[in-house]
Amino acid sequence: MLPMLRILLGSQQTGLILVILLLGAVLSVFAGYHVDRSTGELVNNFLNSRTLMQTATDASFFVIMAVGATMVIISGGIDLSVGSIYALSGVMTAMVLRSMAPEAPFAVVALAVVTCVSLGVLCGLLNGLMVVGLRVHPFIVTLGTMWVFRGVAFVASEAESILVPQPLTDAIKLSIGSDALYPMPMIIMLLITAAGAVYLSRTVMGRHIFAVGGNVEAGRYAGLRIDRILVGVYVISGLTAGIAALVGSSYYGSASCADATGYELYVIASAVVGGASLRGGRGSAVNAMLGAMLIVLIRQSIRTLHLDQNYEWVVIGCAIIVAVVLDQVNRRLTARRLAGADRAMTV
Amino acid sequence: MDRNPANSYIEFDRITKRFPGVTALDEVTFGIQAGTCHAVVGENGAGKSTLGRILTGIYGLEGGQIRIDGRPVQFLEPGDALDLGIGMVHQELVFCENLSVAENLYLGNLPARAGFVSDRKMEERARKLLSAIEVDMDVETPIGKLPVAQQQLVQIAAALGSGARVIVFDEPTSSLSHVEAERLRENIRHLKSKGVTSIYISHDLDEIFRLCDVVTVLRDGRHVATRPVAELDRPALINLMIGRTFEAYFPSHVDTEPGGEMLAVENLSSPGRFEDVSFSVRSGEVLALAGLVGAGRTEVLQAVFGLDPMATGGISVSGRPARIRHPIDAMRSGIGLVPEDRKRFGLVLSLRVDQNIGLPTLASRSDFGWIRGSREEDLAGEYVRRLSVRPGDVRYDTAGLSGGNQQKVVLAKWLAANCPILLIDEPTRGVDVGAKSEMHALIDQLAHEGTAIVLVSSELPEVLNLSTRILVLRAGRMAGELSRDDADQGAVMRMMAGV
Repeated sequence: MLPMLRILLGSQQTGLILVILLLGAVLSVFAGYHVDRSTGELVNNFLNSRTLMQTATDASFFVIMAVGATMVIISGGIDLSVGSIYALSGVMTAMVLRSMAPEAPFAVVALAVVTCVSLGVLCGLLNGLMVVGLRVHPFIVTLGTMWVFRGVAFVASEAESILVPQPLTDAIKLSIGSDALYPMPMIIMLLITAAGAVYLSRTVMGRHIFAVGGNVEAGRYAGLRIDRILVGVYVISGLTAGIAALVGSSYYGSASCADATGYELYVIASAVVGGASLRGGRGSAVNAMLGAMLIVLIRQSIRTLHLDQNYEWVVIGCAIIVAVVLDQVNRRLTARRLAGADRAMTV
Repeated sequence: MDRNPANSYIEFDRITKRFPGVTALDEVTFGIQAGTCHAVVGENGAGKSTLGRILTGIYGLEGGQIRIDGRPVQFLEPGDALDLGIGMVHQELVFCENLSVAENLYLGNLPARAGFVSDRKMEERARKLLSAIEVDMDVETPIGKLPVAQQQLVQIAAALGSGARVIVFDEPTSSLSHVEAERLRENIRHLKSKGVTSIYISHDLDEIFRLCDVVTVLRDGRHVATRPVAELDRPALINLMIGRTFEAYFPSHVDTEPGGEMLAVENLSSPGRFEDVSFSVRSGEVLALAGLVGAGRTEVLQAVFGLDPMATGGISVSGRPARIRHPIDAMRSGIGLVPEDRKRFGLVLSLRVDQNIGLPTLASRSDFGWIRGSREEDLAGEYVRRLSVRPGDVRYDTAGLSGGNQQKVVLAKWLAANCPILLIDEPTRGVDVGAKSEMHALIDQLAHEGTAIVLVSSELPEVLNLSTRILVLRAGRMAGELSRDDADQGAVMRMMAGV
């Protein structure tokens, strides 16, 4: 086999993309057709711009959070509180907008962005400081803040759903062409993923995250400020949860303390399906995006194929386990090949 | 001595083992007599550990046959070897650290009634098992709390307890102190007197001369020789191992006049670790810190590098007092630490060679936090070439390198950081003979070029060969200082032991 082809096939990215395309193709074949009322044309139930865009939009909220959460996982930690940070920043931002009620559409958007993002960052900072300062395992710290943040959201909003001003929804629902397609969430998702990928691969901080997750002691001996790096990843995770909340509540037109319940597990699943190791030291923003897309696509397929909705969790659960097992098998095969090559070199 | 495997207790007959892309053992044929201590030596990658693992059933065979007492045997899994009386003491330990000694010994066979474990019975049996090899230890202690040496004794007891007549030792002393290693060797001699056959895999040649009866040399997966140890001397054995003539090493930096004082440490203390340690190193000098394990050598280096928050005392660099509270402070003062355990402290194995070499200086070489990938590779490439790290590809995974090459990468990290002061801790532990002499040459060359070096090593020949001066520590205190001319093995050893 050609070496390039082997590298391509061996890479996890290719594997994920292939699986996504394959699943998409299967869905298109089995989805069936319906007649578009306005044009009278026959339209595939899956392979049409509206369904595809809707799937991408569904994925975008997970993906944005998964980019930050992946960094936490690469650093060897975990963030269970991202769903709650989403709810808290969303609710608080909606309340700030309601009470301050700015007039100009630009002012609304600017205030929303600043409030929502800083709330996310603040929550992340709190997580990070507790992980570092209290020396408690991040699973415990963020399990606690998962309930605390959501609880605060409940108390603050009195468990009511709060409408967000129309300019925000208008901004996120900028449509292209004559069709009512809203690509903004997808565009933001792609931008955040790209930013995350660049941050991880091209910046000093990004490299330090890999080093700390790979071997925290070696990092200490190399003079890294371990505590700062760790606080940093939780801040980033809070930041992305804040951005997701901004996009989500704008898109849906309201924020509620029950938003994003259980998202943390989808987010962690996305990162892990994307090849991140819960032991730290390994992961990728782009792969986390692909992982999230795969999960959302599996969910979509249940709807498209008119399967019993109740099976959704069973299918997703199985898919996550299968994906990770396949990834590990692939990794083991690669490692064996490498080990062979290495011995060939030392002998 | 019988080089023909026939008539031996264990016969290896044309043993062949392939891993993808490489033949680890190529038609290896030799025999082991019952009741002897038989050494298997060779450089890293020679196939000696593979052979041990084949005999204990961890690896399967691609070709050839193992015969025990004349009967061909076939192992499908490790348990099979144990059933035939072959046990193994591993280099890395294989216990559940949270469980007690007794629980570990009987993990596969817990004495129980109706599913309830009888602790009393289990501990009784464990004590009996340990007393059979004349070891006295508290069997209720969690095994993770015992020193490695004691854990190895438990492994021996476990092997004997399951009826082993042959025990394979894979580099058993590589993580032991002198005293512990000697005690282990004493135990192996004791086993021999009881008729147990030991197969001793090692690259510590001194040990082989002290302990073993017969030695088999492997090179590049092939059998080179099987000879009685008494017929060989050290250079001859090394020649067999490396297949080239061994030249004793003489450092060149000793002849050059040392420069100005680079590092001065005054009354450095850390509660429970060491007390009142003072020394100074000049540019172009190698100061060796000698001492037994536990004397506080590593701890002193850690304190100088800012890794010990409890440390008190004065450190000055180039005559100016330096406040060192974090490795970053040490690095800013031009101090680098090449740590003792490369896998734990030296390397991030999940990162590539260039990424590891660049790690300490990544921030200072970046453009406002942005990594210049090509710059990183160029820098790493320079040191990979200079230290001849193999393979020479800077994009290689560090996890795939041999021990010696990993050690070079750790050294390269600090060379790349341009440190005029290097603290080097056990630079040749667990690396093969070839890499060892390369490492010695490098340290000498660095000193020759003006680096001030503080070297910690448990190998006396290394200390004596490489150093300009030797500072001996004993139980956390300074026991004395020797100049190169006054120092010999005996003098240093006496000072270390305090006799």
